Amino acid sequence: MNVEITGVTRRFGRNQAVAGVDLETGPGVFGLLGPNGAGKTTLLRMMATVISPSSGRMRLLGRDPGGYGPRREIRRRLGYLPQSLGYYPGFTVAEFVEYFALLKEMPPARIPGAVAAAVERVDLGRKARVKLRTLSGGMLRRVGIAQAIVNEPELLLLDEPTAGLDPEQRVAFRALLRDLGQRATVIVSTHLVEDVGAACTEVALMDAGKIVFHGTPAELTARGEGHGAAGDAPLERGYSAVLAEARS
Amino acid sequence: MSGAENGRGDLTFPRGTWGVAPADVDLSRVWLGVAAEVWARQPGWLERLAGRALRSPGLARALLTTPSLLLGWVIATVAVLGAGAAATSWTGTPWVALCAPAVAGAGIAYAYGPGIDPAWELSCSMAVSDRMVLLVRALAVFGLDAVLGLAASAVALAAGSSGSAVTVTFGWLVPMTAVCALALAAATVARSAMVGLAAGLAAWTITVLSGQSASGRFTVVVTDSALILPYLAFAAACTAVAWYATLIPRGTS
Repeated sequence: MNVEITGVTRRFGRNQAVAGVDLETGPGVFGLLGPNGAGKTTLLRMMATVISPSSGRMRLLGRDPGGYGPRREIRRRLGYLPQSLGYYPGFTVAEFVEYFALLKEMPPARIPGAVAAAVERVDLGRKARVKLRTLSGGMLRRVGIAQAIVNEPELLLLDEPTAGLDPEQRVAFRALLRDLGQRATVIVSTHLVEDVGAACTEVALMDAGKIVFHGTPAELTARGEGHGAAGDAPLERGYSAVLAEARS
Repeated sequence: MSGAENGRGDLTFPRGTWGVAPADVDLSRVWLGVAAEVWARQPGWLERLAGRALRSPGLARALLTTPSLLLGWVIATVAVLGAGAAATSWTGTPWVALCAPAVAGAGIAYAYGPGIDPAWELSCSMAVSDRMVLLVRALAVFGLDAVLGLAASAVALAAGSSGSAVTVTFGWLVPMTAVCALALAAATVARSAMVGLAAGLAAWTITVLSGQSASGRFTVVVTDSALILPYLAFAAACTAVAWYATLIPRGTS
């Protein structure tokens, strides 16, 4: 298992953003669904080792992220796309991706090839030497995805990766996710149910800091059948039914 | 954008028999090899030097992206200390000594952190330790400000300012260490450069005003050698706070 989380909580002052989450997952694409404020981003930030849990146990890629050495090793094998990613406006696309390849401590000789591959995988080859300040929001999002995959991570954490992407790009991105999920654990936090249906092999639904459903997209769809839950698509109806049940 | 600009269009094969690649050539792989060479950035001499000294190309790159080491900031620092040197040589009051701690404190507060470093959130998930980035940047900003302060002191002395070089130098360098450490600790704990800046400036202003009310001279805070040890002890305490605040506790509690 690449991710093993047991009873993890995270508090910010009096607010408990994550309340006793248990989660285990191996290679594949894992969708993390939930309404705004459900705790998805906080859980993802803990898995990205940006913040530590208030309590609970966490092992990533078979290591405890609390120790300096293991955390460094996890971070070398990690890809992370935050919800709001800042950019150095004076960097080019290739320079930005190279910067994070360096910070991930990739061997310097491997970096140029890895940067070229990552930039091409998000279809930004024609913009590789263009300054970030000139790019659209969707292109910047793809730059963020490129930096996340540059080290061919074993654990890839993507927070709202399709925000700002047009429909064509989203279709291409889902194909990329499926490809990456064959070798790595890809965890995608999103509120777009269709992304989960199209790309994920497993899904968890969070509400009020807790996981209220964990299963396959088909199982989530089945939960919505015959309940008259709100939603235009079967998966949306499953999402609504589980949330309604959790809140009742 | 033309093909020549993006370094890619040059590879577009013209239509014709010679443009067809042999079946055993993987054009994607060939293209990636070419792109890797064309897009590769050549580090400057300073980055190569820093990379060797720090034994980490990533840390060297992070150092050169320090917001308060960018050209505009350095020019502003030179202007303030230059004005201080001019004022010191004209009035005899150690203005370099009085303004250097505040300038350096601001530089330290704006060296690293959320809202300051655009990719800070991402940097916190990188193998190159964010604490190392913080410390290396703080050291670089402090070092640069110390060099500029020394130069300003030398200019003021050469222009006929009174006081020995040692007194003038240590008079501001030690308080500067303390103010920078406080700005660093406050910025790290509060995760806000503005808080670090406010803490550094407020503490320095209070120190200067306290010195004035106690002795009648507001320059006493940089001329009284008895204050050197308290400044150093305070700096050590603030550095310890910054160090502790950047620790990540183990994943259990």
